[in-house]
Amino acid sequence: MGRLRNVAALLVVCACVAAIVVYQSDRPAAARPNPVVFVPSSGFYDSFSPSVRATLADVYWLMAIQYYGEHVNSDHRLDSLPSMVRLVTTLSPHFTEAYFSGAFAMIDIGRPDIAYGLLKKGFAANPHDWRFPFYLGFFAYTYASNAQRYRVAAQWYAKSARLPGRPDYVPRLAAELATRGGSTQTAIDLWTQVWVNGDKYARQKAVTALDRLLPADKIARERAVAGLQQMVPHALFTQFLADVFQGY
Amino acid sequence: MRAAVTDEQMSSEHPSPAATDLRDTIARALEVRDLRKTVAVGFRRRKVEILRGVDLEVREGDVFGLLGPNGAGKTTTLKVVLGLMRPTSGSVTLGVDGLGELGYLPENPYFYDYLTGAEFLQFCARLFSLDGEERGRRVAAILAEVGLERAAGVQLRKYSKGMLQRIGIAQALINEPRFVLLDEPMTGLDPIGRVEVKEIIQRLHERGTTVLFNSHILADVAAVCTRIAIMREGRVLWQGTVDDALASSPGADLERFFMQVVGS
Amino acid sequence: MRRVAAVAVNTFRETIRDRILGVIILFALAMIVASLWLASISLGQEGRMIKDFGLVAISLFGLIVAAFVAASLVRKEVDKRTVFIIFSKPVSRSEFIWGKFLGLAATMFVVLMGMTAFLFALAWIVAHGPQGSLLVAGLLIYLQLLVVMAMTMLFSTLTSAILASVWGICVYAAGQLSHNVLSLSRLGHSGVTHVMSRVVFYVVPNLSAIDVRGAVVGEGAMSHTSILAWSGYLVAYLVVALFAATWIFARKEF
Repeated sequence: MGRLRNVAALLVVCACVAAIVVYQSDRPAAARPNPVVFVPSSGFYDSFSPSVRATLADVYWLMAIQYYGEHVNSDHRLDSLPSMVRLVTTLSPHFTEAYFSGAFAMIDIGRPDIAYGLLKKGFAANPHDWRFPFYLGFFAYTYASNAQRYRVAAQWYAKSARLPGRPDYVPRLAAELATRGGSTQTAIDLWTQVWVNGDKYARQKAVTALDRLLPADKIARERAVAGLQQMVPHALFTQFLADVFQGY
Repeated sequence: MRAAVTDEQMSSEHPSPAATDLRDTIARALEVRDLRKTVAVGFRRRKVEILRGVDLEVREGDVFGLLGPNGAGKTTTLKVVLGLMRPTSGSVTLGVDGLGELGYLPENPYFYDYLTGAEFLQFCARLFSLDGEERGRRVAAILAEVGLERAAGVQLRKYSKGMLQRIGIAQALINEPRFVLLDEPMTGLDPIGRVEVKEIIQRLHERGTTVLFNSHILADVAAVCTRIAIMREGRVLWQGTVDDALASSPGADLERFFMQVVGS
Repeated sequence: MRRVAAVAVNTFRETIRDRILGVIILFALAMIVASLWLASISLGQEGRMIKDFGLVAISLFGLIVAAFVAASLVRKEVDKRTVFIIFSKPVSRSEFIWGKFLGLAATMFVVLMGMTAFLFALAWIVAHGPQGSLLVAGLLIYLQLLVVMAMTMLFSTLTSAILASVWGICVYAAGQLSHNVLSLSRLGHSGVTHVMSRVVFYVVPNLSAIDVRGAVVGEGAMSHTSILAWSGYLVAYLVVALFAATWIFARKEF
């Protein structure tokens, strides 16, 4: 009788284990990431202490990255991304990378205006960071459609040029924009700087844009890229070459 | 009706002049007069009188047995003597200079799981502000006295019941007290353990240390005590020498005497 | 002082050898290592993530030690009746309470600084350089938890160990929200709400006055004066809590 009970108990346990495995193995196929997710407004967290808000910003940042990765190459729907990035940057106003990565991610949803607003918000919170006016100038130049865009971009670059820590070519870019704003070379210079300073997603966009702007002919391309060498740090130049000469 | 004490030196109702003089000259380790203790119990804080006028006298050098059924108030009396509880009324007079000369072993003692026997005794010795060398000497001596030298480095959580009782006695004696109070020191011990504890008590008596202990085991009490008191329901019903108790009992049996007093 | 030191050393030995403590520390270290994985999916923000989540792990597990071990420190001695052995010797109630607290404070220091050192080493590898602010953050978290410990010990003189732990955790949570209590009081219309809010504001320890984690991840700097002032405030707070615990404990009978 005792032995029968042991066998029965073992069968029950095996059946339960099998049910667990079957249920879990079905889930990856059944699970489809929802492009619309709930993102609380930042006001909800107003009462939390600053330390907790900084940690929450990091948690939401990780969620935003996961969300972006799940949707950018599948259904291309990033409906909740602006809210997520706004929340992260409100909770942690000095989380500068969130502004930059977030701004470039907005290009994927065709909303450079949100990117621009985000960068302006970031600059207000981080007025001594040269990268904010730098990217504001870039976005104004690349994505604005009015006739003033070169002048506005030049003004942003000039602001960046006055901030501590900015690279040496920034004043040159500001001057270039002021005098030859519409030229292809200026666009190449700006996208090259995006490649140098951006994360992997920004670099992908920069490579796509440079591929369009640089001469298609290999020798001409080599000549054009040689002129960019002074803009790209020595340690990164090999990788830069590999990226712009992909498929050559 | 409260039984009159058989020891005329204890009688406060009709003291003879000679008896009074004798009483004054006998050194007392402990004198308790009309001790009362009321506690509030339960959610409604109902008042319960645990001690209802306890009179006790323990002379220096006595091995004094405090007997009584469960709930008689023996442990409460000890706690009031030690200051662990405050009396509602009455007086407690100790013949020693405070807690520095007292030793106490509680009933079913629990110690610190992760300390070794030696570490625990060192800790107890520190509480008496003994310096390093003296501490070391006393710890070694007391471990030898209670037969725990080999277990000194073992954590207390690995000690048997008997070993715990012995380390309990050791901590009660670490300061070489003049007055030792032991609450049920032989509970849970095997016959060998009980013999060892009785031998320790005997040695203390020979050194002139006063010992007061509670016990249920009347045979042990009869074997080591010089004087006893019997309590019930918060009062002392009888106190005197063991010889007087045995003399008053048919068949010179302490257990019969006890039942006689408690039953009345 | 000798007796306080004796109780403190005894408490330190007893708590540091407790297996539960070892388990808690292991979980904390596992959580810190797990934050490495989180850092790897953070798009280049490994340094910030490992520091932030590592400090969260240290705070959380430190809080568990502070609330649960502190609650049982006094309670256990009363329930197991080791207090009979202690107070049958010439030890005062205040020497006992202070000795217990200092012993646990020493244990907490070893545990917390050990975890902080581990995080410091990990962050050094990930962020390619020493992150000195982590050590300062570890010390400030330690101070916060000392206050929680003192409050928990105070509660344990009044109630059971488990309730005292819960109250200790509530004190920590409330302390993180302290800066909001005053603004909440302005929302209320009645004078009673206003008075009550002010009372709560002063009674609940202000554990969020310094943004410990924020400063480490770059959300602002901690000035030396503000750190010193806050530390002084926390020390004063725990002194008051311990005196209150001593006063209550002195009136207890066993």
